[in-house]
Amino acid sequence: MAFLKKLAVAAVMTATAASAVGSASADETSKLQQVLDRGYLILGTGSTNPPWHFVDSDNKLKGFDVDMGRLVAKALFGDPDKIEYVQQSGDARIPNLVTDKVDMTCQFMTVTAERAQQIEFTIPYYREGVGLLLMANGDYADYDALKAAGDDITVAVLQNVYAEEMVHAALPDADVDQYDSVDLMYQALNSGRAEAAATDQSALRWFMVQNPDRYKDAGYAWNPQSYSCGVKPGDQRWLNFVNTVLHEGMTGVEFPFYAESFKTWFGEDLDTPKIGFPVEYK
Amino acid sequence: MNFSLFLTELWNARLSLLSGLGNTILISAASVVLGSVLGVFIGLAMTYGAKWLRFIVRLYIDFLRGTPVFVLILACFYILSVVGLDLTAFQAGVLALTLFCSSHVGEIVRGALIAIPAGQTEAAKSVGLTFGQTFVYVLLPQALRQILPTWVNTATEIVKASTLLSIIGVVELLLATQQVISRTYLSLEFYLFAGFVYFLLNFVIEQAGRAVERRISIP
Repeated sequence: MAFLKKLAVAAVMTATAASAVGSASADETSKLQQVLDRGYLILGTGSTNPPWHFVDSDNKLKGFDVDMGRLVAKALFGDPDKIEYVQQSGDARIPNLVTDKVDMTCQFMTVTAERAQQIEFTIPYYREGVGLLLMANGDYADYDALKAAGDDITVAVLQNVYAEEMVHAALPDADVDQYDSVDLMYQALNSGRAEAAATDQSALRWFMVQNPDRYKDAGYAWNPQSYSCGVKPGDQRWLNFVNTVLHEGMTGVEFPFYAESFKTWFGEDLDTPKIGFPVEYK
Repeated sequence: MNFSLFLTELWNARLSLLSGLGNTILISAASVVLGSVLGVFIGLAMTYGAKWLRFIVRLYIDFLRGTPVFVLILACFYILSVVGLDLTAFQAGVLALTLFCSSHVGEIVRGALIAIPAGQTEAAKSVGLTFGQTFVYVLLPQALRQILPTWVNTATEIVKASTLLSIIGVVELLLATQQVISRTYLSLEFYLFAGFVYFLLNFVIEQAGRAVERRISIP
């Protein structure tokens, strides 16, 4: 009897494993095929954080995140505009992926191990760091002055799981005020509710270019983090496809598209990837 | 506050703000109309239903009134899609506000109906009116006078609650405003402006409600 039982269990397990393999390898169930059949990509992104994703004065979504989605749409349909945007708040990024509201999300999403347990990240398309923005005519000259001030200063920061920890890594004694959006954070700095705003280097540069002579960079950057798009877990075919598109945007045939976007939003010209030995294995 | 800069940016953003306002009005109107229709049936069931029906409806009302609108919106958007009902953000938001509105209107209708003396229903029965006729010709006109002021109040609540739809990505007036702010960084000015527009919207609703009240009041 015991033998028969073992045999039965083994048979069931084999059958389950076989069917699992079968469904995983079936292409027609992949998101890739669904998106191709649908004829447009559903991209989850925000609409209130330049230069990543924001509504320009011509009422169109623009930014570096949006361009990453456009790169994928171009790869799918030969047309970067075949996208339906789902304008979501930061909190909605993971729920919208898991419940299939979007095909992928590109919304300055920091890669963390916790998030990677809930969704699958693509390869990173940007490496972000944090800097400190000060008023040009403020009481503190630079990072050293801020650090010397100890707990006399308040630092405004965009709401984030790691926000407090992040600020304290650079300014251990400073008070931290978290804000829902970038504009409120800058407002805190403008109105004197905060002495400095800790924000991403990319946003900081973009803001300083837009408001010349009003602000200054405290001259210290820390906290490297990778930005990746996210997809719903369990669809290797779709993940591989998006990875390939992003990878070739940064190193291959779509490099001009990626480089032009980078120049537009971060004001920096990228060097063409070195021809010959693949640059990513250097 | 740089007023001329604000006016310039306001003019630049007029189309997106107008479309946001349009969405706010559409969401509010749809939710109030649907919620009121549903609410009248709930009020009727609460007042005249069998015991088991009253129990179920009581649970429905208490559950919806005891839940933050925000949670209702998230539930309609995410939980329904897990069980296979895939609504767009707009539909899910309208559904949530409709349910919320119906629970409030249900209570309002119930209160108004039990405030009408039982003699009215008895008189209607004695002249041979059916229940439907009694409700439409005898009870509803009298109940309406009780219902209207609180109903207008509920409508303004719904307009304000519609701002919560911005969280699930419906570009109504608040999210449209936030989008303009993220581009212009004029947060104080544009938030004040949005607040003023919401006030105007609710002021118009209240005045319209007052006008109807005057019309139907017994001199």
